[in-house]
Amino acid sequence: MNEERSATDRAQTTGQPALTPLGTPPEAPRDPDIIHTSPELAVGEGDVRSAEMRDDTIVGTSLWKDAWRRLLKNKLAVFGLVVVAIIIVVSLVGPYIIKATTGYTYDFIPPDSKLVKSFPPFQAPDGSFSGAHPMGTDNAGRDILARVLLGGRISLMVGIISTIVSLLIGISYGATSGYLGGKVDDVMMRIVDVLYSLPYMMIVIVLLAFFGNRSPLGQLFLLFAALGAVSWLTMARIVRGQVMSLKNQEFVQAARATGVTTPKIIFRHLVPNALGPVIVYATLTVPSVMLQEAFLSFLGLGVQAPLASWGSLASEGIQNIAIFPWQLIFPGVTMALTLFSLNFLGDGLRDALDPQMRKF
Amino acid sequence: MFKFVLRRLIITLPMVVIVVSLTWGLIRLAPGNFYSGEKKIPAAIEKNIREKYGLDKPWYVQYGRMMGSVLRGDFGNSLRYQGQSVNQILLMTLPVSATLGLFSYLIALLVGILAGTLAALKQNSRLDYASMALAMLGLSIPNFVLGPLLVLVLSLSLYWLPPARWGGFPSWNLVLPVLTLSGVYMAYIARLTRSGMLEVLRADYIRTARAKGLSERAVVFRHALRGGLLPVVSFTGPALAFLISGTVVVERIFALPGLGNYFINANLNRDEPLIIGIVAFISIAILLFNLLVDVAYAYIDPRIRY
Amino acid sequence: MFSLRAKSVCLCAILLALAVYSAGCATQASKKAEFFGKVEPPPGQVLRYISGSEPESLDPQVGTGQPEARIYMAFFEGLVEYDPKTMEPIPAIAETWDTNKDSSEFIFHLRKNARFSNGDPITAQDFVYTFRRGLAPALAARNGYLAYEIKYAQGYNEGGSFVRDTKTGKFVTAAEVEPEAESKGQSVEPAMPANASPHAAELAVDKENPSYDTDFHHFMHEPVRLVVAGDEKGREKEFKANPKLRAALENKELVPVKAEDIGVEAIDDYTFRLSLTQPAPYFIGLMPHQFFRAVPRKAIEQWGDTAWTLPEHIVTSGPFKLKAWKPYNEIVAVKDPMYWDAANVRLNQISFYPLEETTTMMNLYKAGEVDAVFNHNVPVGWLDQIRPLKDYMDAPEVAIEYYQFNTTRPPFTDKRVRKAFNMAVDKKALAEYRKIVKPLTAFTPEGIFPGYPQPKGDDFNPEKAKQLLAEAGFKDASGKFDPKKFPINEVELTYNTAESNRQVAEFVQAQWKQNLGLTVSLKNMEFKTFLQSRAKLEYKGLGRAGWVGDYMDPYTFLALFSTVGGDNGTGWYDPKYANMLKEANRQSDPQKRYELLAKAEAYMLDAQPVIPLMTNATNWVKKPYVKGMYPNPGTLHAWKFVYIEDDRAKWDYGVPKLTSDKPTTAE
Repeated sequence: MNEERSATDRAQTTGQPALTPLGTPPEAPRDPDIIHTSPELAVGEGDVRSAEMRDDTIVGTSLWKDAWRRLLKNKLAVFGLVVVAIIIVVSLVGPYIIKATTGYTYDFIPPDSKLVKSFPPFQAPDGSFSGAHPMGTDNAGRDILARVLLGGRISLMVGIISTIVSLLIGISYGATSGYLGGKVDDVMMRIVDVLYSLPYMMIVIVLLAFFGNRSPLGQLFLLFAALGAVSWLTMARIVRGQVMSLKNQEFVQAARATGVTTPKIIFRHLVPNALGPVIVYATLTVPSVMLQEAFLSFLGLGVQAPLASWGSLASEGIQNIAIFPWQLIFPGVTMALTLFSLNFLGDGLRDALDPQMRKF
Repeated sequence: MFKFVLRRLIITLPMVVIVVSLTWGLIRLAPGNFYSGEKKIPAAIEKNIREKYGLDKPWYVQYGRMMGSVLRGDFGNSLRYQGQSVNQILLMTLPVSATLGLFSYLIALLVGILAGTLAALKQNSRLDYASMALAMLGLSIPNFVLGPLLVLVLSLSLYWLPPARWGGFPSWNLVLPVLTLSGVYMAYIARLTRSGMLEVLRADYIRTARAKGLSERAVVFRHALRGGLLPVVSFTGPALAFLISGTVVVERIFALPGLGNYFINANLNRDEPLIIGIVAFISIAILLFNLLVDVAYAYIDPRIRY
Repeated sequence: MFSLRAKSVCLCAILLALAVYSAGCATQASKKAEFFGKVEPPPGQVLRYISGSEPESLDPQVGTGQPEARIYMAFFEGLVEYDPKTMEPIPAIAETWDTNKDSSEFIFHLRKNARFSNGDPITAQDFVYTFRRGLAPALAARNGYLAYEIKYAQGYNEGGSFVRDTKTGKFVTAAEVEPEAESKGQSVEPAMPANASPHAAELAVDKENPSYDTDFHHFMHEPVRLVVAGDEKGREKEFKANPKLRAALENKELVPVKAEDIGVEAIDDYTFRLSLTQPAPYFIGLMPHQFFRAVPRKAIEQWGDTAWTLPEHIVTSGPFKLKAWKPYNEIVAVKDPMYWDAANVRLNQISFYPLEETTTMMNLYKAGEVDAVFNHNVPVGWLDQIRPLKDYMDAPEVAIEYYQFNTTRPPFTDKRVRKAFNMAVDKKALAEYRKIVKPLTAFTPEGIFPGYPQPKGDDFNPEKAKQLLAEAGFKDASGKFDPKKFPINEVELTYNTAESNRQVAEFVQAQWKQNLGLTVSLKNMEFKTFLQSRAKLEYKGLGRAGWVGDYMDPYTFLALFSTVGGDNGTGWYDPKYANMLKEANRQSDPQKRYELLAKAEAYMLDAQPVIPLMTNATNWVKKPYVKGMYPNPGTLHAWKFVYIEDDRAKWDYGVPKLTSDKPTTAE
């Protein structure tokens, strides 16, 4: 360890780099991803600079390759990954297959008014067995399978994209706030509080009033904006809490002492160590945004009928649960299966990315 | 610490002013009025209404009047519900929402922390899988599905519990809404606790504690739990503020006279004083709960300083 | 590791599915019963009724909705009441009433024993007060327009002024400034100049009752005075519309229209007279409306326009009085011993539960915690199961649903395109899908107004529709309709968020897709945003609309299109149509009047500013032991006739007949 740097002034933690040694930094004779995974060892400015230099070549690939290798060892995570992948593929391709084989689409209402009602799975109108509607039909006689698959598109997209957005904003915002502390933290967190307090519904109503006449794509973007606007808030608070607890630990102090820049401390040293709860919370965000989408469509934001999402299918299904249980069961189970798989995947990712987990 | 708390308390007032002002602006931007309805009102009647409620005055007069009433702590009368004052509505609905919210959260905390801790201690055991699978089940069933399901089974098939309506506290009417509401939070807390605990159990100071020869129980309760609960604590601030300010879905499913129901309808009705009143209340609640959370941080983790 | 965790996952999924399914089956099994859920009459003549969303106010002149109306019917009574079966006016505080020859005047004879809940007698003066208060600009009642047929009511409510010659002291009459062209927009508004109908000058003195010949009555029969806007800006606008007006106002003074000028008069304590601007035979049908129910002057003056409705201050005029009011929870009405007909009121208490969630209502009903629910609360999907049950109620409703065109925006500026879109919707199929509604091609509800020769609109005819579209220019080289030529991006079907609206929209969308090859995109909006886009004609193409009649007369529907910027939000206005309606209302023979109205309706339908969809149906449930409640066209129940029957033999099994006098069982 470079002892002479351990006495570096604390004030330099606010972002001023410490005095850098002239001359070439010593080569770090270590596994490249150690800088990320064991920050307590990343103390020399030289180390960091070398890490920076290798950023897009060796370190980047190596870190993720390593994590990927560990992920593949986790059977449950692989299970989750496979299921999620299957569901994504099926919901992308499935509707076309159904249309090609049985001719049904998500919005096809039979012209014969005798067929405009809810039939149980695998049942033809005359009561005999039929493979036409493996999940039955809804009140308008539409094929539930086609609707569930199509609903999967929007729900998965909403769930995954919004969660990623919330991760990106929440982590950077929360970590910055927690690490810098003091007045900056105060201001940043009060902004979060204000955003929490504003009437969300009113914001959406106003957003729609001003941008509601956009194209379907614009509508979708608006939906992500509206979902992203709130889902990162709690994430930011969680990250901040973790960072505040971590920032006084030895490895951070050491990094600081050796003059590592603030952004690097935050994103290379603190964030990876706070990732556990963050990933768990992210997997918790997925179902909540999926359901929020149903609420937003009540206000007229999001996909328009006859398109559906899992959330809207479930809320429709629950109303008829006593009479047509299949209207809830199929979208519900599909959604639950996806969420389970996403959770396994999240847990696996967490383990794979967790520097300490590696020791196990 | 004292100074920190004091500073945060003092800042509450300007924060509320900011939130209320933004909200007021939003209401002005939103299309429609509290009096617009399926029947279009003749222009003359609209004029009468605007005069009656001072909507014909310039915006700064209206804003000033609104802000004055907020600062006095008297939010005035609801525009939609004539004869009901906003303060009265808050006083009436708050006990309902608070009872429901606190009760649900308490149960969620108890069960969630217990399950999460046990799962973390016995990582990869049957117990771990069972409790996490349950937690995930709780997460994947949205409360608008869970509520009606519970009603269907417990009150319409078995006739054990009343299906809806407020019955005061305590009463059997509370059971189903509390169960419905706590389900998701239980799951959240269990999972957050588990991951937090896993993190902490590997930390050096726990190793040290174990090395010192402390009993497992002491290690868990005196040392690990503190740090392991950090994510739960972060989550609790907003969650509690949210719960106390009403939970629309559950209130509607169970026909409870809580704040959430009022709030949603106030938004849909463009009921300005009511929206402002509830928003002011929510912002105070959020600021206070987050202050509590920050204080709790320092208590739980001595390394956190402000 | 894998197998263990996977097992628990599978187990959970299976458990969940099982729970859901068994719950579903459990309830399905119990559906074999005669009724939906428990049927145990509550003791003590207590009715528990779900009345809809939380009432805006307990002031009958302030609250405008149906949920409020249902509650007001317990607390307040008017001159007349709705018949529980037909909603025709029946005697209430007025024992009898007469009209003059052309139905421009109504005289009500009040009963002498009517009292408020504090014991004060209800007299003709109270009704004078009630009418004047409702119209006072300071109250700003949204329903004020309902009373505009009353002489000078509109002028007073709008803050208008009479014009007086300072030298002669004479008032300028409306006839003096009548514009030559009849097509002016104002000409259809009752108190406006062109409306000075000739009958107004005739003053028939009632020989049998000389006391009816009052000064006020003479005033009412003077030539109709000119009323101009009370403020400078409004007058400028009027000057622009009618150049004669400016000259007429030179050197004249403006006298504001006062409450005392309105055509309501207490001839004596128990005789009340209404004078209208024009013949309005339907006006009596409007009198049971909440807006005209007696309110207590003393309490209102003591506590103010809003505070008087607080439980500690409120004074009521109906068969029940307020016991407790817990917002969003319940309103408790108890029998009022002061009520003139208290001896015949059988219920001791009504608990109104304000609730919005349909499933919750049905749950409470099923569990036997409420005895009846308000209208439109059995989800369509449930009807196959619930309709056969003996406690299910449906009947035609005085309400319609329709889609309106934005006729100011292409492509719907073209009548042919509007007609084509109408013809491409199979309304019979739609009605079958909605199960209880009736297909509608006209603009008045079908089968609600006996004797009304309702015209027929265009029938379902996809071929003709395509032909019309081709004629409108959307054709390929061979002259046939080509969907690709149609500017489909300019057309959206907008509706306010509600499950039933969405279902209908999806169905109609599918119809256009199948019959025209056009996929109209749907767009749902939050209610108030939707209203604004409709009122300002900002919506693209089509918008959803519905109308519930204010009274039992076709005019309440047809009048929607009678004003320029009126309620209709289509941008369609035709002065000829407005005049046809006016002409019809001048007709004193009811049958002839109906024929003229029908002619006007046919004229409007030909212009096709709307796509009529369906005559709605009432749709609710009540326990068989609740007697005296009928699925009348407005689902408004006169609570004094309702009671709980403990004797199973006398219960209602099925929908009670709506015509016979004796409430016997039907079907």
